[in-house]
Amino acid sequence: MKILLKILIWVTPLAMMRTIAAGQYETFDYHVQQMIIHAAANDMTSVQTFRELLENLHRPEPGDSQQATPFSQQGQENLARSNLKNALAAFRQAFIADPADPDIAGHLALTYLRLNRLREAERLSVYALYLSPAHSTHWLTLGEIYGHLRDPQRAAGAMMNAYHFAQDRPQLAGQLRKLATTDDIDEVRIGALQALQSISPRTASSGASNPGEPGHTTPPSLATPAPSIASETQAITAENPRQKVYRRAISLTCLIITFQNGKTANLGSGFLVSSDGLVMTNNHVIEKAENLAVRCGDQESKAEVRRRSKTPDLALLTTSLKTKENLALNETYNRDLVGLDIFVIGSPYGLEGTFSTGIISGLREIEGVRYIQISAPISPGNSGGPVLLRDGTVIGIATLGSKVGQNLNFAIAAAEIVISNFFDPARMKSQRLNGKPHLD
Amino acid sequence: MNNACLTFVLLLVMGLVIGPVFAQQDAERNRFFVQQMIDLAAAHNSKGVETMQRMLEQNPQPAALDPAAANASFQWGQAALQQDNLEDALKAFQKTVQDDPGNVDAFNHLGLLYRKLNQFPDAERALQHALSLEPARAGSWFQLAQIYGLQNDQRRALGALANTYRYAQNPMKAEEILRYIAENEAVETLRNAALETLQLYQLPAQPAIVPPLSPNPALFK
Repeated sequence: MKILLKILIWVTPLAMMRTIAAGQYETFDYHVQQMIIHAAANDMTSVQTFRELLENLHRPEPGDSQQATPFSQQGQENLARSNLKNALAAFRQAFIADPADPDIAGHLALTYLRLNRLREAERLSVYALYLSPAHSTHWLTLGEIYGHLRDPQRAAGAMMNAYHFAQDRPQLAGQLRKLATTDDIDEVRIGALQALQSISPRTASSGASNPGEPGHTTPPSLATPAPSIASETQAITAENPRQKVYRRAISLTCLIITFQNGKTANLGSGFLVSSDGLVMTNNHVIEKAENLAVRCGDQESKAEVRRRSKTPDLALLTTSLKTKENLALNETYNRDLVGLDIFVIGSPYGLEGTFSTGIISGLREIEGVRYIQISAPISPGNSGGPVLLRDGTVIGIATLGSKVGQNLNFAIAAAEIVISNFFDPARMKSQRLNGKPHLD
Repeated sequence: MNNACLTFVLLLVMGLVIGPVFAQQDAERNRFFVQQMIDLAAAHNSKGVETMQRMLEQNPQPAALDPAAANASFQWGQAALQQDNLEDALKAFQKTVQDDPGNVDAFNHLGLLYRKLNQFPDAERALQHALSLEPARAGSWFQLAQIYGLQNDQRRALGALANTYRYAQNPMKAEEILRYIAENEAVETLRNAALETLQLYQLPAQPAIVPPLSPNPALFK
């Protein structure tokens, strides 16, 4: 069998040269899958053989690494901050500039995994291993991908290869242990556990030392940023109150796009009021739409109108979005509000995620609807967006602006939503940033 | 005028009249083959595409009439292109293809320039000519796809993108470019064509739920 494999080493590259020159994914996928199968069977000799076969395949032309490097750095920064969409855009640019760099391909695969785009993640991960078959991190990513694809056998095989090729095996064992105990996906946990069981008990336990013991290494997460990035992130995390409000609310604030005759018709804003995807906005944003779509943070979904009313100017949309939290409504409506700082997030003229500040200038009742007059600038496209207090609660929905005067803008009071019976406010899970309403 | 002289004159006249007709017929035939490659690629007919490719590759490559002049005008064109001087670049590459009708790079540049100048039929013709000379040139197919996208011809944009992927030196890179276009391209026809191309090759694809927003007209400098 082993002789046969040795022969294969020489014959296969010649036979495959033509197909690989054409860049057949199936060819290098075959080799990667063989490495997984043999690893799962604890046949590391065959793993090594297929690794050599893979290394002997035709290499792609190197790209422009100088052009790719800044994009790759941007991607890593965004990945470390979980800005997955931006990370994807940056790594894609880097990959297109230099598709022969295994680290870029690996990071792109990891980003797809984090975005739950598993087929893309698998293809990029396999390709990264074709470029660098003994790269432990790429194997670990592929193992995670197979776990997410509900294939614990292949997850285990890939993770065993991660261990086999790791330069710091105790650390890798620690990473596997973390996956085996804390990952949300059953098949990832099973795969990691199987891999751990296959590793010799002595070696595995050396990586399983308790914190405080000599030789203990803390298992980093897969997306652990480089030290420089981590320290930069920490520096940025020391946030002021405005940034705190912004960072909390930005991923829960939505861009709303309406379509008519298949074309984009109108842009507006909205925000998530429940963790199962209910989005609040103004009726005038969506009233002429044939179709609707929303983008809240990194997530996008088609949307449908669940309820709407002309007075007050409100609409509630259903989407397929799932979030861990949502923005909470603050039903306070009295003179104590006047003078408080407020923050507006929205998409004025399509400028997504625009953050502005002001104060509550007054309370007004217009045509029987309670409004909060604010000094923060709002423009077309802001309509439907949240007006937030310092504690992160929504005190109003940006709705109107005066064409005369300056900074005379109006938000429907959140209290109007609460009494509108559009939905049960008990569905809202979010807590205020500071525990109590910030009214003083 | 004796008979020999008359025959010579007749042949000369026939040559002058029929020569360009034949040349035009060749060009028309080559364009037909390129169009066939597009239609067959859009229908995912690999064998058909290969057959048409071979037909084009069997054409004799036109010889350069004046290689030195062609080279000089090509250099001039590239320099003008770098300086974003489109008019001069256009003139230079037009001269290049006159002196060297087999210069694929010059035809490619012409395709790019005509596109930049919004002269889409001319761009299409130049790129079809480039592809008739080198039918497996992925870059020309990609440019041609963009022309069809800008002309709202989704079917032909799909065929041209399918050939871009087919002939790409690094299909993984091409795949990622297609995904990028399918999710981010502002021209809807091209965005949809890229998505269809990925689906044609059974590659993972995700349509853009929220299409890319067009440049904001309210912004000014």
